[in-house]
Amino acid sequence: MTDKTMLKVENLKVIFPNAAGVVRAVEGVDLTVREGECVAIVGESGSGKSVTSLAVMKLLNSPPAVTRVDTLEFDGRDLRQATEKEMLDIRGKEMAMIFQDALTALNPVMTIGHQLDEVFIRHQHMKKKEAKQASILALRLVGVPSPERRYSDFPHELSGGMRQRVLIAMAFACNPKLIIADEPTTALDVTIQAQVLDVLKNMQREHSTSLILITHDLSVVAHMADTVYVMYCGRIVEKAPLKELFHRPLHPYTEGLLAAVPRLSEENHQFIQIPDAVPNPMHKPAGCTFHPRCRYCTQQCRDKMPPLQDMGDGRQVRCWHPLGGPNLTEDALQDGSVGKEAGRYE
Amino acid sequence: MQKGYVIKRILYTIFIFFIVVTLNFFIPRIGVEDPAERYYPPQGNMTDVEYDIVKQLTREQYGFDVSTFQQYIRYLNDLFHGDLGTSFQAGSPKVADLIASRIPWTLVLSVSTLLIGLFLGLLIGSYAAWKRGQRVDTAVLNASTITTALPAFFIALLLSLYLGFEWELFPAYTDPNMVASFDWSWRSISLVASSAALPIISMAIGSVVSYAQNTRNSVIAVSNEDFILTARAKGLPSRQVLYKHTLRNAMLPIVTNLGMSVSGLIGGSVVIEQIFNWNGMGTLFLNANNTNDYPLMMGIMLFLSLFALAANLVTDLCYCLLDPRVTVGGSR
Repeated sequence: MTDKTMLKVENLKVIFPNAAGVVRAVEGVDLTVREGECVAIVGESGSGKSVTSLAVMKLLNSPPAVTRVDTLEFDGRDLRQATEKEMLDIRGKEMAMIFQDALTALNPVMTIGHQLDEVFIRHQHMKKKEAKQASILALRLVGVPSPERRYSDFPHELSGGMRQRVLIAMAFACNPKLIIADEPTTALDVTIQAQVLDVLKNMQREHSTSLILITHDLSVVAHMADTVYVMYCGRIVEKAPLKELFHRPLHPYTEGLLAAVPRLSEENHQFIQIPDAVPNPMHKPAGCTFHPRCRYCTQQCRDKMPPLQDMGDGRQVRCWHPLGGPNLTEDALQDGSVGKEAGRYE
Repeated sequence: MQKGYVIKRILYTIFIFFIVVTLNFFIPRIGVEDPAERYYPPQGNMTDVEYDIVKQLTREQYGFDVSTFQQYIRYLNDLFHGDLGTSFQAGSPKVADLIASRIPWTLVLSVSTLLIGLFLGLLIGSYAAWKRGQRVDTAVLNASTITTALPAFFIALLLSLYLGFEWELFPAYTDPNMVASFDWSWRSISLVASSAALPIISMAIGSVVSYAQNTRNSVIAVSNEDFILTARAKGLPSRQVLYKHTLRNAMLPIVTNLGMSVSGLIGGSVVIEQIFNWNGMGTLFLNANNTNDYPLMMGIMLFLSLFALAANLVTDLCYCLLDPRVTVGGSR
């Protein structure tokens, strides 16, 4: 990991207007990924993590999506200004994506070889024959056995783990600078999960690729990530380096997520459940969006959305009452005695 | 596995064909009286003995002199040798010849209709899907509502009235001598083309719209699939995504549709042919029905079923080529 910033996103907002109202999927997300860094975005379904990643690649269909962002810098380029034609050259070549369910993410009527070839032909202007060689090599690198034979297989003829490897090979094909992996192991068995994660991690290390890992699985995060962003209802609620987050979560939601992971070591471990479910994105609660499910909720939480504030050591949290820290009041914020506001909020 | 599937499908088709032949033989015989009495009612000056002789001769001529089961065996045997029987029409023409003489004329209409429908339908449908929710798309939707509500014969009557009689753009009525005088000269080809215009247009309108609607729905369903997002994330231009990824998958339901249309190709449209006085299979069948000419009816029905079965077989095999997953599921 170097100090060079690969991706910088500031104040990303994505809304989906429809006849019944507006779904605010992402509300002001800041994201920084350094070269070779693995950033995990953690959150439940509907927290806006997939939309964030699609917005970064400018892959959201518009309409219906409406995207606003203050900064979208990738490898020193301002992607906000990039035309669709320029984006076509960036996607797949400098920025690639790995999707969740490899069965549906691969075209069922095309051989996997053909689908891999497309990347090489599109971005490296290879002839069909060269592309085939490159594809076979790519399959070998991700540990697909006898890649020459698998090359002409259709997706349904491969196992889930192999399919996911194909997607990984496809993403790494042009040695991109940034890869976004959207729940890459959710659809796999646990044993296969570990293998696929190892492949992903090795590939990332060898090519020093930046990786955004989107997941709700904290064990995957522990295995892979350097920095963790926790998202809830379209906002970042906590950002921390991996170890600090696991040792001392600051946000009640993070605490809940961690406590929901079963542990064998502690006898009679009681799950601390987070009650209820993620609120309907069309009717988010007032104040802090997490307050209806929060154990530490106060009147202040019901009234006003807390800002995302720096807590030192590269940590940020969006909470009026961070765990183990001083309670925040608006007065304290204003006289600057506690933290410094990092995120914009309205 | 692929080969096994093909053989299985062919054997299955032959089995079905045998059943069709059998039903086709017995069903018309259920309610039919002695054809001898039906076609040769006793003449005034004929004695009973003479009449019996006439009846016996007629029965022999049309093969009714033996038991039904023997007739069935004979029918199978004739079929096996490619003989569809003899029509009751004057001059006792062979059924096979009658059918063969009508097929090209029916194909002129049905094949052009199908090609126009398929070509324009795919084009308009994929364009509408691309411009989803925009004006083209809504137009296709509305057009499909309208053409579903308006049967083809109604459109045919309107066209015949306005394009044919009022504005005289095309002949509203086919020249009865067109078939007999056809000689591949430029003049007779253009006569056929102009006479075929109205029937083709009236059938093609519905066909275009229904293919367009099907294509549109299918394309939209496929564009929401994950693998389309994968293709876009690879940096493929949207045109390439549409042609190489979306359309190939969207074709699957359309091929089913196409298979069904193909099996109807030689049947012709009884109503449309009637309106424009077109001498195709539809008219032939209608006449056979009106005159109780059941060797001809049986011949036509048998021929249509054979064609439909073949079309189905080809569709299934095409499916196999288009969708690699079919072989596995289909071979059971």
